[in-house]
Amino acid sequence: MKKGAILGIVIIAVAIAMIISIYTDSSTYASFNDAQKTEEEIHVVGELNKGKELFYKPTDNANYFAFYMVDNDGTECKVVFNGSKPQDFERSEQIVLTGKMVGEEFHASKILMKCPSKYNKDQVEVTESAASSV
Amino acid sequence: MDIKFQGESLFPGQFGQFLIILSFGTALLSCISYFFATRHKEDTSWHKIARISFFINIASVIGIGSSLFYIIYSHLFEYHYAWSHSSRTLPVYYIISSFWEGQEGSFWLWMFWQSLLALIVLFRSKSWENPVMTIIMLCQACLASMLLGIEVFGERVGSSPFILLRQALEAPIFSNPNYLSMIADGNGLNPLLQNYWMVIHPPTLFLGFASMIVPFAYGIAGLWERKYKEWLKPALPWSLFAVMVLGAGIIMGSFWAYEALNFGGFWAWDPVENASIIPWFTLIAAVHVIIAFKNSGHSYFTATFLVLISFVLVIYASFLTRSGVLGETSVHSFTDLGMYWQLVAFNVVFLILMVYFLVTRWKELPITKKDEDTYSREFWLFIGALILVIACVQIIATTSIPVFNAIFKTKVAPPVDAIAHYNKWQAAFAILVLTLSAIGQFLKYKKTTPKVFYANLLISFIVSVLLTAILVYITKVYTNFIYILLSLAAIFSLVANARVLGDAFKGKWKLAGSSVAHIGFALLLIGALVAAATNKVVSLNASGSIPIAGFEDAEKPGENLFLYINEPIEMDGYTITYVGDSVANPNVYYKINYERKDKETGKIVERFQLTPNAQQNPKMGLIGTPSTRHYITKDIYTIVTSAPKLDEPTEQHDHGHEGHDANEGFEEPSTQMVNIGDTLRYKSGYIVVKGVNRNATLQNMPLANGDLLFALQLEVHAASGEVFEADPKYLIKNGNSFDFAKDINEQGLRLRFTKIVPDKGVELMIYQKALPEKKWVVMKAIEFPYINFFWCGTIIMTVGFLLSIFRRNKELKGKIA
Repeated sequence: MKKGAILGIVIIAVAIAMIISIYTDSSTYASFNDAQKTEEEIHVVGELNKGKELFYKPTDNANYFAFYMVDNDGTECKVVFNGSKPQDFERSEQIVLTGKMVGEEFHASKILMKCPSKYNKDQVEVTESAASSV
Repeated sequence: MDIKFQGESLFPGQFGQFLIILSFGTALLSCISYFFATRHKEDTSWHKIARISFFINIASVIGIGSSLFYIIYSHLFEYHYAWSHSSRTLPVYYIISSFWEGQEGSFWLWMFWQSLLALIVLFRSKSWENPVMTIIMLCQACLASMLLGIEVFGERVGSSPFILLRQALEAPIFSNPNYLSMIADGNGLNPLLQNYWMVIHPPTLFLGFASMIVPFAYGIAGLWERKYKEWLKPALPWSLFAVMVLGAGIIMGSFWAYEALNFGGFWAWDPVENASIIPWFTLIAAVHVIIAFKNSGHSYFTATFLVLISFVLVIYASFLTRSGVLGETSVHSFTDLGMYWQLVAFNVVFLILMVYFLVTRWKELPITKKDEDTYSREFWLFIGALILVIACVQIIATTSIPVFNAIFKTKVAPPVDAIAHYNKWQAAFAILVLTLSAIGQFLKYKKTTPKVFYANLLISFIVSVLLTAILVYITKVYTNFIYILLSLAAIFSLVANARVLGDAFKGKWKLAGSSVAHIGFALLLIGALVAAATNKVVSLNASGSIPIAGFEDAEKPGENLFLYINEPIEMDGYTITYVGDSVANPNVYYKINYERKDKETGKIVERFQLTPNAQQNPKMGLIGTPSTRHYITKDIYTIVTSAPKLDEPTEQHDHGHEGHDANEGFEEPSTQMVNIGDTLRYKSGYIVVKGVNRNATLQNMPLANGDLLFALQLEVHAASGEVFEADPKYLIKNGNSFDFAKDINEQGLRLRFTKIVPDKGVELMIYQKALPEKKWVVMKAIEFPYINFFWCGTIIMTVGFLLSIFRRNKELKGKIA
């Protein structure tokens, strides 16, 4: 029985360590205002402000991409990403940023976006040429 | 009001829908009949009904697949599935991929494999047929219910692949009876899935998932029929088969990600990847403790529990990936097909089944009260299995964060750096598991003499330390203590298992399977470690990131390189040049030349071309597919991350029609007073004024007396090195002045000699065209060292599993017959 007891204790210890690790590594979904208050990297969820221009000029710098995002509280902030413009960024519906505030800008280290996937029951495309055959 | 729609072919859909209901009904009937056949062994009529309904089931499953394939293949866009997953331009072999792009198709795939496996079980399992098939057909009925698409008490059950477009969507065009003629094409297949790996990865993965039902069914059958020890024997080769196929399927997915996706790697701990690896871990652990139990009688409960939980975790994996619960934590886009609760129910049914039998049979289980000997193989096999389970718990816990959020209404985000979080834990578990897979080979079942054990261990360990030192030096992973430890553990496992393999060649061939599989696994981990730890982005912005607004303090330089066409750039010892592109619709292949020169002689020692392609998908934007140069010791992976839009009309206007303004097409001219010897800049070069020719002639116009004609001799030096000559002319005729411009079309230049001002010089007007935008591309290159270990390890591991299956199968036959 002794070996079993030792094993049990070891497993419990590892399990506790894992839970603590997951808890400390896990992050929170926050707003830009929350991001302003912390130095740590956090997740911000929001939408791309499609009214404002996306800034990506690879001819000047292939690793600078900036845009404006409105978070779920309605706060708008300029977001800067040290990389190229993610594919199909303009069509994104929801963006999840990982990063932190630097001055007035949010520096994103990771951008994850949800696009209106084709599984979404979106609009049927109708071609004009075919419509004339009616 | 009823609209008579034109041009729809409704038969394949109605036929398919009928078959879905038939397959659900027959699966259920077969399950119930097998259940009663198990209860009433003397009455063979139940058994007959069960078999007949199973055969109808398998026929209808094949029929469903054929109908769906016919619909996609014939581009019947009146069906939602064909419309949303395929298009007319799709090559035939990708029609197969589009078949399982949707959830319905992948459920069908699962059903299809499951019915084939059931067929094997039916003919080969003998006395086990009734109870085992009861469980398999229960699962078959659950899967068929996912395809039903029928309203039951106001709740839609399942999602049918045969639903019509006009039933699935609401759009004004469906009020038109002739709507079908307006739908020119389907939505097409996601470009990322247009890859040959996508043709074979899903079937392999689903075969792996599907085959996990068989050991589960044997387990339940064993508990149900109180044949507690007997069921493990036939379940072992099935478990090995499931582990082999699922393992191969997972790595194929990883290879697909590496070859076709742009996230730059082969494993990203994405929830979808995790979901598939969790049941693999538990079943691997199960295989080990089954073997321990067979040889020693220990660990019965652990073996049973692990076999059963593995299949429950397969269902949990499909809940995670198909219910939409992962939401924003995964890069894979999944949408809820409204089957959330149905998937939960599927999970709960099998979980209850497992818990019910374990609890009710608990007291009768052949659990030994004796402690295992510390110097026995079974003890360490058990410990190894335990470590795998703990590793698994860690993956489940972090991957399930969105599930906890859904249950407890919390809003916890997953770790910011998920890869580091998982690696931290899994590296430690991997070290332990690898070490055990080495130590285990020196131990015997029941009892080992410590002296012999330590002597053998020591020799292998010393050899391993030496080999590790060499490996770590060559692969440059010595920067991190954990890396060194992991390398040592892997090499130790490699050496210990190689010794066993050496014995196998001397005649103990029975042991070959496990040692080959362990060697493969150790190689795989070495490959993964080295490639993941030392891969480096080589396309670092060599010019130093240009400080623009706010990024002066960026810690890391940019990872993307900007290349103008035909302008070579130095990158990590290579000279790379973007030399052009070729279009093979819908892909654009960007040709990037790599050249490496010998440092001293300057001779080109190596030259190759990579052609990363990108699909400019109108619906999804630029989708890059990498191109990789494979060496034995490393890979160079290149991907296009940005490129100019193709649709933009190139600046090639037709100059045939001269409009009202002769200088149309040119920008505002610059007018300058020049003298002989002056040099003037223009956009892409410079112009030297050589002199003025007073005796010039005009081709079409004879000069009259008193006319004065001057030609300005100019030399145009283009930046490319070309030199052009031009002589715009100035004519004074009857007191009026005229001028004859000279064009240099290659440079987009028009030069006019418009005035002579004595003592000051002559007036030159330079017209320039807007420069046609030069082609450019933004790319990223990553070097993956020693990734071939990873792929080699996978193949070797699969071979090892195959050998083990043969061995266990022979054992099974030998004992039963």
